[in-house]
Amino acid sequence: MRLPEREYDSNPTSPHFHHRANSSSLSPSPKANGHRSRGPVAKVELPGATIYDDSYIDREEYIRLVIQSLRDIGYIESAATLEAESGYVMETSRVADFRRCILEGAWREAEEALEHLGVAEDDGLWEAKFLISQQKYLEYLETGKTTKALHVLRNELAPLHMDPEQLQPLSSLVMCSDAADLRQKAGWDGAHGSSRRRLLVNLQSYIPSSLMIPPRRFVTLLDQARLRQISQCVYHNAPLTSRHFSLYADHACDTDLFPRITTAILQVHGDEVWSLEWSHNGKFLASASKDKSVIIWSVGLNRNPDISLHQHLQDHPFAVGCLAWSLDDTILLSSSEQYIKMWNTETGICIRTIEAHTETVSALAWVPDGSGFISGSQDRKINLWGSDGKLRDSWGITAIRITDLAVTPDFTRLVAVGESAKDPVLPTPRGDSVTAPNTNRNGNNGNNPTPNGARTQEHLMIVYDLTTKQPELSVSLGGQLTSVKISSDSQYALVNHAPDEIHLWDLFTGRLARKYTGQRQGRHIIRSCFGGVDGNFVVSGSEDGNVYIWHRDRAILLDVLTGHGSGSVNSVAWNPRNAQMFASCSDDFTIRLWEPSSGLAHRTADVQSHESEPGGKGKGKSREPWVEDDPASRSL
Amino acid sequence: MGMSYRRYLAGARVYGCLSCRTHLTTIHSMISRAFNGQHGRAYLFEDVVNVIEGEPNDRQMTTGNHTVRDIYCCKCGTTLGWKYDKAYEQSQKYKEGKYILERNLLVDVQ
Ligand SMILES: [Zn+2]
Repeated sequence: MRLPEREYDSNPTSPHFHHRANSSSLSPSPKANGHRSRGPVAKVELPGATIYDDSYIDREEYIRLVIQSLRDIGYIESAATLEAESGYVMETSRVADFRRCILEGAWREAEEALEHLGVAEDDGLWEAKFLISQQKYLEYLETGKTTKALHVLRNELAPLHMDPEQLQPLSSLVMCSDAADLRQKAGWDGAHGSSRRRLLVNLQSYIPSSLMIPPRRFVTLLDQARLRQISQCVYHNAPLTSRHFSLYADHACDTDLFPRITTAILQVHGDEVWSLEWSHNGKFLASASKDKSVIIWSVGLNRNPDISLHQHLQDHPFAVGCLAWSLDDTILLSSSEQYIKMWNTETGICIRTIEAHTETVSALAWVPDGSGFISGSQDRKINLWGSDGKLRDSWGITAIRITDLAVTPDFTRLVAVGESAKDPVLPTPRGDSVTAPNTNRNGNNGNNPTPNGARTQEHLMIVYDLTTKQPELSVSLGGQLTSVKISSDSQYALVNHAPDEIHLWDLFTGRLARKYTGQRQGRHIIRSCFGGVDGNFVVSGSEDGNVYIWHRDRAILLDVLTGHGSGSVNSVAWNPRNAQMFASCSDDFTIRLWEPSSGLAHRTADVQSHESEPGGKGKGKSREPWVEDDPASRSL
Repeated sequence: MGMSYRRYLAGARVYGCLSCRTHLTTIHSMISRAFNGQHGRAYLFEDVVNVIEGEPNDRQMTTGNHTVRDIYCCKCGTTLGWKYDKAYEQSQKYKEGKYILERNLLVDVQ
């Protein structure tokens, strides 16, 4: 970044610019001699103790951090000049000596110096000495000086050790065959590796930070400022590189980078589209439809790629509800009622059809190591399958008719949602004395295709320990649960909850962390997902035909995207490799791709004519116009 | 219409669709066994789940004129019976909003 020179001159009282002004006056032609001789720099006497009159930043602290930064960068002379001019030193000669002793392996001197570095008496000092002796011991072993090492073990480590458990692994290292074996077993990279520097960092926690400034302290503070600014940037959707963060101004993402414009409408399915999943490489989008088919769309990661229909997987006996890509994207799973189908994604050939569940398969999830997948069903069973489609394990009958499940990326937990197995009793004829506790009916008009009888099921989110298959948490929730996704850090579960709520559950604490509201969800399976850089956003379908997007951590509704036709937006999926693209699917038979408005030409889509399905099946749906006529895109 | 899972029922006797065993209703919801459908004996029920209702049309029945809708199994599409929207004879009003299921198309699922 180049700034006009006057920017520097405009602030001559700022202490850290003094040196610049002085040096130019001291040596008129600085290039004349590499080793400039100049007079001693005079200490500048300043009133007060802060860097500005109205600031709470202590001047000494601030200058010492500047000196540390200058040294780290390599501006050694500037650092020395600043020390002279300010009268502050980065650290006392005692601290500098201590640092040098550790890095050079002068252990006796280091131990002596430690006594004068303000380490808390007793425990702190003991632990610090233990760390030094441990390093010394390992270094003796590394160079084959076993006798000296054993001496350290007996006379220094043994008397110091507080925890016998800690000493045993150390003493067993004597048996190591050679230095390489030792380094491997000790998880230690040797005297010439980074071990001495790491020891210094460890020792630093015992020494008051005012004496010995923690490493890279200035940058640590600036990083905190950066994270704070990013947390305030609700549309934040850019990777954390220096390109997107400047010290000169507070960070704020351009909302133009946020995907809010329809850039393609994919319209080949002949009925409602219920589910979407991106391949892990982000190049393919699979869609599942009530028309008993799955389509794999080729989308590509480049800007303005052609979208084409890669495979149309038609051989399903019923409507298709779930999809799951294998980790290497070579196999796509689809579920159609009680059947699971495994497809070769390249050839479109059905590899295997699995019929092991007795009711609708409602969830499919590959395990994080790619060795197989888990299915959940309305028959209350959870099954584990090998990647060859052979049953490896079954969890038996669970407490719920499963509506969705997900495995945490760290492979420790499985989160299942569904209705408790206590199925409801239907209302009895009026006047009948055989009354179950739940004979109240919801308003049931003639338009309702499946009448709402008594709804008294309990809706549960159950968190299972994956190794023991035992529930470790079971939460009873008020409404139907239709979708569960796990955050990439395995901490949060995102759960769609009727009516009209999405919950973010903290799996570590077992508490509700956030609630997202605005979308409409009553009777249908509506799904949501995380998305964007760092999973900053939550996006969901809705029964009002719109797409809803929130900031994940602040739970602010950022956008309500219109465009889909009548009916529900059933599911959404954020591209895992393109933080600025997601897809939505709807009862209107279409899939929409959403991307930022800036710098994006229209995608060329040749997807309408591929398969001429008999459209509409007499439902009287009005087909949505093609992308050229889409009002949301016209403003581009 | 959107995606939904079928509902499951509990009770002493759950009736399901003969061809696909989808739960439809329970014996506690039965009002009368004294009906006839296209396939013989039929039952009148207070409530039925997991069916799709067709368009309304007027039908002249033995007990008078009625507005009815055919009902289909939501999984396999079998026509299972009908629902009464409106009965024109005062004595038949009790059937409004109730469902007829053909006995020969039902199976005990529990
Ligand atoms: Zn059926």
